[in-house]
Amino acid sequence: MSQHRAFTGGVAVVQADGATVGQIIDDLEANYPGLGMALRAGSSAGIDGEIHAEPEYVPVTAETEIYFLAPVVGG
Amino acid sequence: MTATENSTNYKWVGTRPIRHDGFDKVVGKARFGADLDLPGQLHGAFVRSPHAHARIVSIDTSAAEAMPGVKAVVTGADFPALDPTHPNFDTAVNCMARGEVYYHGHAVAAVAATTKAEAKAAAAAVKVEYEALPAVLSIADSMAEGAPLANPNNYTKFAPPGDPSNLATITNLARGDVDQAMADADVVVEMSFDCAHVHQGYIEPHACVVDYGDGKANVWCSSQGHFRVRSMTADVLGVDNSKVKVVPAEIGGGFGGKTTVYLEPIAAKLSEKSGKPVKLLMTREEVLRGSGPAPSAELRIKIGATNDGELTAIDGWMAYGVGAFSDMAGLIGAMSVASYKFPNLRMETYTALTNTPKSAAYRAPSAPHAAWAIESVVDEIATELGMDPIDLRLKNAAVEGDLTAMGMPHPRVGLVECLEALKASDHYQSEPAEGTSRGMAVGFWFNIGEESSATVNLNEDGTANVITGSPDIGGSRASMALMAAETLGIDVYSITPIVADTESVGFTDVTEGSRATFATGKAVVEACEDLIEQLKARAATIMGVDVGEVAWVDGAAVSPGHGGGEGGDPLTLAQITAQAKRTGGPLAATASLNAAGAGPSFAVHCADLKVDEETGEVEIVRYTAVQDAGTAIHPSYVEGQMQGGSVQGIGWALNEEYIYSADGAMENASFLDYRIPVASDLPLIETIIVEVPNPAHPYGVRGVGETGIVPPMATIGNAVKAATGVRMTSLPMSPPKVLKKLNER
Repeated sequence: MSQHRAFTGGVAVVQADGATVGQIIDDLEANYPGLGMALRAGSSAGIDGEIHAEPEYVPVTAETEIYFLAPVVGG
Repeated sequence: MTATENSTNYKWVGTRPIRHDGFDKVVGKARFGADLDLPGQLHGAFVRSPHAHARIVSIDTSAAEAMPGVKAVVTGADFPALDPTHPNFDTAVNCMARGEVYYHGHAVAAVAATTKAEAKAAAAAVKVEYEALPAVLSIADSMAEGAPLANPNNYTKFAPPGDPSNLATITNLARGDVDQAMADADVVVEMSFDCAHVHQGYIEPHACVVDYGDGKANVWCSSQGHFRVRSMTADVLGVDNSKVKVVPAEIGGGFGGKTTVYLEPIAAKLSEKSGKPVKLLMTREEVLRGSGPAPSAELRIKIGATNDGELTAIDGWMAYGVGAFSDMAGLIGAMSVASYKFPNLRMETYTALTNTPKSAAYRAPSAPHAAWAIESVVDEIATELGMDPIDLRLKNAAVEGDLTAMGMPHPRVGLVECLEALKASDHYQSEPAEGTSRGMAVGFWFNIGEESSATVNLNEDGTANVITGSPDIGGSRASMALMAAETLGIDVYSITPIVADTESVGFTDVTEGSRATFATGKAVVEACEDLIEQLKARAATIMGVDVGEVAWVDGAAVSPGHGGGEGGDPLTLAQITAQAKRTGGPLAATASLNAAGAGPSFAVHCADLKVDEETGEVEIVRYTAVQDAGTAIHPSYVEGQMQGGSVQGIGWALNEEYIYSADGAMENASFLDYRIPVASDLPLIETIIVEVPNPAHPYGVRGVGETGIVPPMATIGNAVKAATGVRMTSLPMSPPKVLKKLNER
């Protein structure tokens, strides 16, 4: 989301390394302080088309598509 | 029902057995939150703020404590101070103010006495001195430059550290080139909309009984999630989760409004201080003033389209007013824009705090507001282009692979199927009755997965208990039994589904987000599949064959090696359970999971109505709700959810609103003046269930409880436009507001 660019100096596309979603977030936090925390606060992610809650340990590959989402709860 | 893709011939799934909780509810035996009485129990009453925003200068409880029958008085000082970064800090402060009150009706103190009258009299005797503070009472006030802070503990989420703010979220989503697409569009429509706070209107007010003893709070209450009641109560009290046990009562409606706590920690502290059980109930007035209405909203939507009906761009500004505590309504509203392809998109959304009650979820939270605005503008475009409103939507409907506003591609979804089902329906194929006009609209909801546990115990006689932790707010118990019956291959009436307390079943998330039949259903199926493996192993022992030679077919173990013939002599489940002791002991299985792959659900609604041009009253003559259920486990329940969501959306559209005085007090805090539709107000809601199975669930389930509330406001707004030529842009479309717009024509 564009408000995350506040952590990347306006850059919209960044690189990150990791074997799990959590490691990706850690890598982002190391390079862009505050971004990882903001993503973790979201607590849900769309991973290859499926929404996962708390996806910290979901494995990822170079082909994995991840969308960081707000925690949709519902009523 | 319209089975679009679901060609599976189930034996039990899709049938309509008598609901397991039906008898008790019809004859009045069902136990709701207020129905339990414990020996020696006390009755509680609250002291509530008369100010929308004030500092608490002092609280003198001495007069109250001295009154007859009073056994305990509590204030915010009786609870541990949580750090403002604690996830339940807001919950704790909302249950009872600490130093500052944030809305008219905010709880300041509570009393427990031997009778309700004594408790009420003592509450009136508590002396609270306030220093009034500036109150922020509207979205515009909240977002104004230099606005006073509604809550000094709120910081904007997902943003770099900054100063306290009235904005809980600021969201900007974008793709493509909106400005260029609007410049290139043949038709551009831009409109502004607003809607007031509304309440979920559950028929059962909040209620609990808490008995605190030996360092532990035993809580009986109705809720949408007793594990959350446990953790919230434990956090507010400052104790471990194991020191709170929650027993779920039947619930008389939740719709999102019972996904949090207001009473339980207070009752627990009163019980701890008095040494007696304490019953604490909200009156209807307290429910309206002191629980969680849905957010208000202001929205500006601009959509561009080509002459042949392609919706090329959407530019949206949305602000949600969420009361005095942090929320993510604006972010969720932005994310809910998911019905059309919109190659160019810009959504700028805000969540704004006001000094009004803390918002709670209401069935697909934030989505109804966004759909109200977007579907109204889409309807205007259809009119301007001379296109049938369904055809315009079919041309642009999101399908698998199309991007949602968040940028994530849709999985398999059923919007096209729902639109086609409405188009082919008797309602849409019929001309509107004389004097009536027609409108239709689309709605979307994500649905969620989250954590669920299930235990399935097989009894000695082959009957089964299915034990889950999902409070049944709309038929999930029967659905659990149906899925167990289908998986095990046994009669659904031999299965008893129960909802167990927090010490008797594995952790289960709240029944919200239309998750129970999906996620808890998955856990039930997984536990049944585990049981089938156990049953096959026991059968192998009985049959004297290798377990690899045993199959499970129609509720029985079969093996060619047993009794001859291709299928052998089957051993039924009951025959196997009768020998459980001989073959290894009881047969039981538990499954726990964090369910991924919740399938989104679309709904399409249509209304025929007439407008009385002398009074402004809108009368709905015919209403049809179409919705993709994935697979309707129990179709009667699915229809009930569709009808319930429709009726709530209709009430939101036509009559319901919180009316505040200039100093922030709700002026219509009763069902006399807060007008919810009753059965005599509306025709029977016709339902068409579409089934596009969700591949991520063993039976194809999509959540159904929430999507039904998303289309009605725009459906009715579009029909009113067709009837009168007037576009209503402010909810509710109550008679005085409709009449005023008619007279301005």
